[in-house]
Amino acid sequence: MQFRIDNTSDRPVYQQIVDQVKRDIALGRLVKDEKLPTVRHLAKQLAINPNTIARAYRQLEQEGIIVTKPGSGAFVANLDSNLSRSVRKKIVSDELQQIAIEAFHMQIDRQTLLELFNSAVEKFNLPPRKEKSNE
Amino acid sequence: MNENVIEVENLVKYFDGRCVLDGINLKVPRGCIYGLLGRNASGKTTIIRILLGLEPPTRGQTFLLGAESANLSAKVHSRIGYVAEGHNLIQNYTVGRLIKLCKDLSLHWNDKFFEHLTETFRLPMDRRIGQLSIGMRAQLNLSLALAIDPELLILDDPTLGLDTVARRQFLELAIDLIGQQNRTILFSSHILSDVERIADRIGILAGGKLVVDCALEELKNRVKKFRLIFPESAPENLYLTEIVNKEIEGREIAITVTNWNQQKQNMLETFKPSSCTELPMSLEDIFIECTKPDAVPLAHL
Amino acid sequence: MFTLIKREIEDHIAYFLGAAILSSTLVVLSIWAAYNYKDEPPIYSIGLLYSIGLSIPVIVILVIGFPAMGASQMYTDRNRKISAFLSALPVTRGRILVARIITGILAILTVLAPLTITATVLWHLLMPPVPIYPCPIFDMFVTALLMVFACYCLGLLTGWASSKVTPTLAGLALTFVLIPLIMVKGFGLHTAVILVLFIIASLIRIWQKFMSTAL
Repeated sequence: MQFRIDNTSDRPVYQQIVDQVKRDIALGRLVKDEKLPTVRHLAKQLAINPNTIARAYRQLEQEGIIVTKPGSGAFVANLDSNLSRSVRKKIVSDELQQIAIEAFHMQIDRQTLLELFNSAVEKFNLPPRKEKSNE
Repeated sequence: MNENVIEVENLVKYFDGRCVLDGINLKVPRGCIYGLLGRNASGKTTIIRILLGLEPPTRGQTFLLGAESANLSAKVHSRIGYVAEGHNLIQNYTVGRLIKLCKDLSLHWNDKFFEHLTETFRLPMDRRIGQLSIGMRAQLNLSLALAIDPELLILDDPTLGLDTVARRQFLELAIDLIGQQNRTILFSSHILSDVERIADRIGILAGGKLVVDCALEELKNRVKKFRLIFPESAPENLYLTEIVNKEIEGREIAITVTNWNQQKQNMLETFKPSSCTELPMSLEDIFIECTKPDAVPLAHL
Repeated sequence: MFTLIKREIEDHIAYFLGAAILSSTLVVLSIWAAYNYKDEPPIYSIGLLYSIGLSIPVIVILVIGFPAMGASQMYTDRNRKISAFLSALPVTRGRILVARIITGILAILTVLAPLTITATVLWHLLMPPVPIYPCPIFDMFVTALLMVFACYCLGLLTGWASSKVTPTLAGLALTFVLIPLIMVKGFGLHTAVILVLFIIASLIRIWQKFMSTAL
């Protein structure tokens, strides 16, 4: 499990870990019931204060993304498809907001932006609507 | 025991008529890893030296492990590990002689741990300390401080002069330590990325004052920078509480504010900017903003 | 404490060696003098012993040497930041200072003790059984000890701030005061009292300075 800490980021370190765990789960790199590295191990690997890792794990547990079993460690929660999907939707939605901000500063108007967006959707052949049973 | 391991009360220090510390108040609770940041000559070393009783304060008081700094007993000293800036140690002694001196004078010495460290660092016993590179001196200094199993570790710029690998080794050592119960660490550093990795709380010293003193994870949520664009020229009298920095240029204002909340958001909107963008700030950005000469000292966060 | 004293001695071993050489030279000289002139009237040899023991070179060595040692101890401490380093360990400044002063006293005794013992022995050997003069050796020993210690304290006092030259000159100046004092008052209680007062004053001042200085 490879995480990276970005010192030039505006997000606190613990938040970066939370984000990366969520991303990995959403992208299928971490599967349900998989054991996460221990706080100590991850702290050593990333050279970070173990309290920060612990904080990240607490946050993830609060959001229902992982569960900790005393004595055994932390595991990816048995996520239902809705939670996974909502996380994924949020990731994409955040990206889209960034694009909107960029477009504003680049003075690209709404019509042009929608045209660019549609051509990207066409190019990558996104299916019009996802079927629920595929989750 | 849940008391504060380090307490600084209204500390003022003048050097040759120049004010270096202008009323510092600081409390470090047990088990906290406190990173003290500041530009060169901002007073970080001075605070540490006053804490350890090496330097008398001009006004105010400081306490370590409950004892007054001016009168630290040998027993209190034995619970504190100190790595001084520059890693000077005693230049003309050999490594072996210095180690023996420390061992003989210490009340509690963890020989096994020390041996492990000297082997990891490969410290030569018979070379004079003045002939070692600064990296090796730093490693020796750190090993000596750790060998006494201190409750409180005070590190003044511990990674100064260390190459990348040695710095990483030091970080990993620090993290190993943090894992052990109830140890408190106060360290000052220039290397922000290191501080961001291992600190729980952070303090930024600028202009003789502790401009920031809060938990690290809160810092980025509390200190925010905005770029405001106004339809006509920017108002001169844009007022918000706790502005750290304000730059006006034509129709734009860039302001840095701390303790950001909804109230301040509302206040900001009353000035009717045509756009308000939040600019992302890394720890480095925050540090630079807070140490600009006109930065306004903040309330304790 | 023992470790601290040991450290001081090791750092300033040169002074101890010098002291040992000086005292052994004087002891040898005294024995040679006593042996050579044993057929002469005792006064002759006693006078000779006096002139050896109190000769200008010896006095000069003592009153320059010991302030130099005191100054050297303080100066090297400041220069190499030794107390600053030791303070990080479980020692207090008070202990460092006490160890330092004890080391000084030990060095002084290294010179004076063998001399005094030799002098006492020779005195009892050479002087007629009926004591004409009460044995002045003890008084001389005490006065000499106090005088040299006073010079040493002066060295300690000035050594922290300045280079090594000033304190040794101060030591010389002090003796120009002390020698006439001893000649006027003699080796006795009066001189001893004055010296003791001076020593106490300097020790208090040294203590104050060392305790409050920035390391």
